[in-house]
Amino acid sequence: MRRPVDVGAPDRLYTVTGGRSRSDGSSFDLVTLIVAECEPSVGQQSEHRRILELCRHPTAVVEIAAELSLPITVVRILLEDLQATGRIVPRHPRVAASATLPDTALLTEVLHGLRNL
Amino acid sequence: MTQPADRRPDRTSNTRRTAYTLPVCLLALAAVAGAAVTALAPVDARGWAGAAAAGGWVLLAVAVCVGTVKANGLRARTAEAEDELLRTRAQLDSRTAEDMGLAQVTLPAVARLAREGVAPDEVLRQTRPPALPSQRELLRVCVTALADAEQRAVAAAAAGRSAADDVARMSDDVRRLAGETLPSVVDKLRGGASVDRVLAGMHWPQDPALRDLTEAAVRELALSERRAAAAQAASAKALSRVQAKSVSMLADLRDMQDRHGEDVFGDLLAIDHSTSQLGLMTDRLALLMGGRSSRAWNKPIVMESILRGAVGRIAAYQRVRLHCSTRVAVVGFAAEGVMHLLAELTDNAANFSPPTDEVHVYVEESRTGVVITIEDSGLRMSEAALRRAEESVSGQMTDLALLQGTRLGLAVVGRLAVKYGMNVSYRPSARGGTGVVVLLPPQLIAQQAQAESAPAATPVTTAAAPALSGTDAVPAPRRSGDTRTAPAAHATPAEGTEIPGHVAFEEHSTGRERTADGPDAHDQVAGHARHSATRSPQDSPGAPGTQPPAGGGTDGRGATLGGLPVRRPGRTMAAAHAELQERQAAHARDRENTTRTPGTPGPAPADASGPAGTEGTAGPEGTAPGRRQRTPRDIGAGFGAFHRASRAADESEPPPRAE
Repeated sequence: MRRPVDVGAPDRLYTVTGGRSRSDGSSFDLVTLIVAECEPSVGQQSEHRRILELCRHPTAVVEIAAELSLPITVVRILLEDLQATGRIVPRHPRVAASATLPDTALLTEVLHGLRNL
Repeated sequence: MTQPADRRPDRTSNTRRTAYTLPVCLLALAAVAGAAVTALAPVDARGWAGAAAAGGWVLLAVAVCVGTVKANGLRARTAEAEDELLRTRAQLDSRTAEDMGLAQVTLPAVARLAREGVAPDEVLRQTRPPALPSQRELLRVCVTALADAEQRAVAAAAAGRSAADDVARMSDDVRRLAGETLPSVVDKLRGGASVDRVLAGMHWPQDPALRDLTEAAVRELALSERRAAAAQAASAKALSRVQAKSVSMLADLRDMQDRHGEDVFGDLLAIDHSTSQLGLMTDRLALLMGGRSSRAWNKPIVMESILRGAVGRIAAYQRVRLHCSTRVAVVGFAAEGVMHLLAELTDNAANFSPPTDEVHVYVEESRTGVVITIEDSGLRMSEAALRRAEESVSGQMTDLALLQGTRLGLAVVGRLAVKYGMNVSYRPSARGGTGVVVLLPPQLIAQQAQAESAPAATPVTTAAAPALSGTDAVPAPRRSGDTRTAPAAHATPAEGTEIPGHVAFEEHSTGRERTADGPDAHDQVAGHARHSATRSPQDSPGAPGTQPPAGGGTDGRGATLGGLPVRRPGRTMAAAHAELQERQAAHARDRENTTRTPGTPGPAPADASGPAGTEGTAGPEGTAPGRRQRTPRDIGAGFGAFHRASRAADESEPPPRAE
């Protein structure tokens, strides 16, 4: 019998969430931007640390899920943990997007780029 | 009636004279008495009286004479008898002397001769024959009997000696059989040799009965060994199928957890947990049966994952609190063993503590390795129980026969500890229960993420790893790369030249960035990438395929021709801005470097990789996680995950266009 070689991570998802399988009041949309409020510290769960690192800049929940390669549900649970301790703040997407409005030439450029895709 | 009176005085020597005087005196007295009687008698009776007296005297005289003669005859006969007595006595003395001589001289000599083995006739001839025929006969009988007895004694001694020899030989045989033959036979049989071969090669005892016994014992032993081996092999084989099934189930479950939404997620997790426990049980049995673990990791696993992987396999995982702040990783080949060992120990701790109490697992690094402490607050184990547990985990009881009932976990722990050189010891816990201290030796530790600035080291590899899993040549270099430079390689792409697959990626991305320098440089870089592709033929061809098109109006500086920053998936716009600016600055520095050292003797390919190297070393100084460079495959994998995640979360929403 050919021996399987495991390449993934050995930790199962229920150990990541501590057995929880569902987020309580889901305040996190898929595109909610998350911003970290503090630096990752040593004693934290590694997923929490990575979320905090990712969210130094506002990052959407789906992006976090993609980056961590974890299901959205798990990410939501993790984010709720962080939110409960005040380490992250969810932010509406429009707030981040309205930082600088690009000029028309740039938007045209975007349009061209999109058509070229 | 007087004779006895007469014979009495004869005994003395001087009574012979009195013997004659007494009758004479008696006769004289009788004569006097007659004369007196005659004289005294009346005259007319004197005649008669005288006649009567004379007649009486005569009668007396006759009687006395007869008595005297008879006495003399008797005396002579007495003397004769005394002579006879003396003679007989002398004869007896001489006979006694001869007997003594026979007993004290002759018979010992004869006995000596007989003992020397001389034949009876020869003995008789050598011995001086005794005077008397009776003694001669006696001697002859004695000699014969002696010789006979001597022969019999010799035969008996010989028989005794041979019996003693037999006993000694047999005891030697038995000792050798027990001390050398049987152990070596058992070893050979355990080593898989066939019975006939073992029987042909072994040292046989000389005793036939012992031979039969040995053969029967060896055959029986071989049969039971074969039976045990067959049973073990069959169960190991069967278990390996169960193991493979449970591993694939786990993979499927992970897949489903990604694909399905929140409504079934909890159920999937429950099934996942059950399957993980099943895997632990199967692995335990498989290890005891001489099989292998169900999983094998080809890369170092960080301690947090090790602990989670261990705890996830036990029923009461929610009661286990992990305290792990270290970032060390366990080398891939030992990771599964360490996980299994920790799972067994935590399972034990959780089972032997009250269901409301927590089990705490601490990890600390020490100079001698990594110390993992598992503490429960259950019942304190008794001294005997502690000793038994220590014995079990020492790995000395490797025989299945020593297993105690259903308590298999500690035996497995012992085997794993011996296999990987881990040290497991029990001690009373400060929490009131029992503490188990596991020491992982330094050779099981892969030092990984050195700096906090490279946090993505392990988790990102999980995204990148599936792409690399198809090749056989990759795991070994990857492991060495991970242990030493993997974090650096991810943070600073151009440095990870040890990893073939990554070289191709890095060179490509560098080449794409440097397209603005001119087609010449691009060709060189591409050539170099092709060159490196030959080093890992299975990996690199995939690289250009997954690489996003380098054209399409973007130049190598992460910006469009019109100055619009290129935002990669997973990156915010602000990060892309910062990245663009930094890259431009780095590029300017880079160009300065190349113009400052135009006369470098390096050939063209070295020139192509040289700037990449300087850029790589110049780049990471300000390395922030947001600025991390990502390989094209990373991007692809990330995008795929993004895609899946968003589709799973909201299936009604139309999926974003892929490419």
